[in-house]
Amino acid sequence: MTTLTERYLVAALQGIPERQRGDVERELSSSIADAVEDRVAAGEERAGAETAVLEGLGDPARLAAGITGRPAYLIGPDLFFEYQRVLISPILLAVPIVGVVRAAIEVGNDAGLGDALLQGLGAAITVGVHLFFWVTLMFVIAERTGSGRFGDADLRKLMGGWSVERLPEPPSLARVGLGDTVGEVFTLLLTVAGLLVLRGFSSFTDDSGAVITILNPTFQETWVPVLIAVLGLLVILRMVIFRIGRWTLPLASVHAALEVAFSGPLIVLALTGSLINPAFAREVGWPPLADGNGVVMLGIVVGVVLVTAWEIFDGFRRARHP
Amino acid sequence: MIDPELLGAHRQELRRGTVVLACLLALRTPGYGYGLLKTLETAGIPSDANTIYPLLRRLEERGLLSSEWNTEDTRPRKFYRTSPTGVAMASQLLDDMTELAASLQTLNGGDTR
Repeated sequence: MTTLTERYLVAALQGIPERQRGDVERELSSSIADAVEDRVAAGEERAGAETAVLEGLGDPARLAAGITGRPAYLIGPDLFFEYQRVLISPILLAVPIVGVVRAAIEVGNDAGLGDALLQGLGAAITVGVHLFFWVTLMFVIAERTGSGRFGDADLRKLMGGWSVERLPEPPSLARVGLGDTVGEVFTLLLTVAGLLVLRGFSSFTDDSGAVITILNPTFQETWVPVLIAVLGLLVILRMVIFRIGRWTLPLASVHAALEVAFSGPLIVLALTGSLINPAFAREVGWPPLADGNGVVMLGIVVGVVLVTAWEIFDGFRRARHP
Repeated sequence: MIDPELLGAHRQELRRGTVVLACLLALRTPGYGYGLLKTLETAGIPSDANTIYPLLRRLEERGLLSSEWNTEDTRPRKFYRTSPTGVAMASQLLDDMTELAASLQTLNGGDTR
């Protein structure tokens, strides 16, 4: 029968490198024997003394970690804040983008809206979990290879360490942070998704069984791709602005041009009644819906003009701000 | 009324750094793990076995202690002895400790002992 001490030694030695094992085993077993003998000499029963001594030594894994100097944590205080910085920004940026793009692709493939949203959500979660796992693994390795523990300044810098350059700028309208960029890009991608959804989404069919689309077929075939391309350019512009860190007058001008390139066709098409499919308007029983002089199209035009004017004004306003 | 748990935590914090010094001082006379525990306890610096055993190995790795197996006793024991570097460091640390105690007394408004 194996004694408790023998079992304790086996458990403790599992965490000790091969070359130290013999030495640690001999020292530990003689130390335990010394302590037990001491208690027995003081009048304790042997079995009880052995239990008391081993319990006093505590979890053998913890003791082994102490002997080898292995950290008893995944990421320690030396690297924790670097870890947090490296982890959070990519997740905030990538997760929503991947989700929306995936959902948009599914809609483009004529999947149902519910399906597309589920796929998008799934993709977003997958990316989030992957980022979390790999970044964490990288830091756990850094922690264990020791470079982090002894405050290796270079490694910390590589990991996004802190220096005075990282102090946040005082708030200014002109400066563009990650949050703004993520928000704007998200909105743009949502618009793309919206266009794709409208393109493929209708429950009406005509006499021959063909789908009656919501959007005017000419608009759908010719202009939707153009509008999506313009939205793509706007996404790129937002990223450029983020890279540079602030609005400038040239950037605001490009931004204004792209806004006009998006809204111009929309306004003209709305006023000429070429936005909504007249057949669709008849199907829902409200022909004026598609009419260029109808209240809906006028409302759209007013809305687009106001939003575009604000966006353009806002760009220049921020560019002029110090 | 002092919360005994809080006091215990701060006491432990205060003693943590002194264990190394205590070991280096005690092991100027060679000793083995369990014997050292007893020596420290008698000296009024009680410590846990699971703190001391890993600590002895770390101090040896850093060259502050040297070790030797003694097989002449009833059972083989690993004897540690403070190395010359360790002795020098212990004397430096002891001076610091004394100075710290004096500084704390000054802060307290009393005369240094």
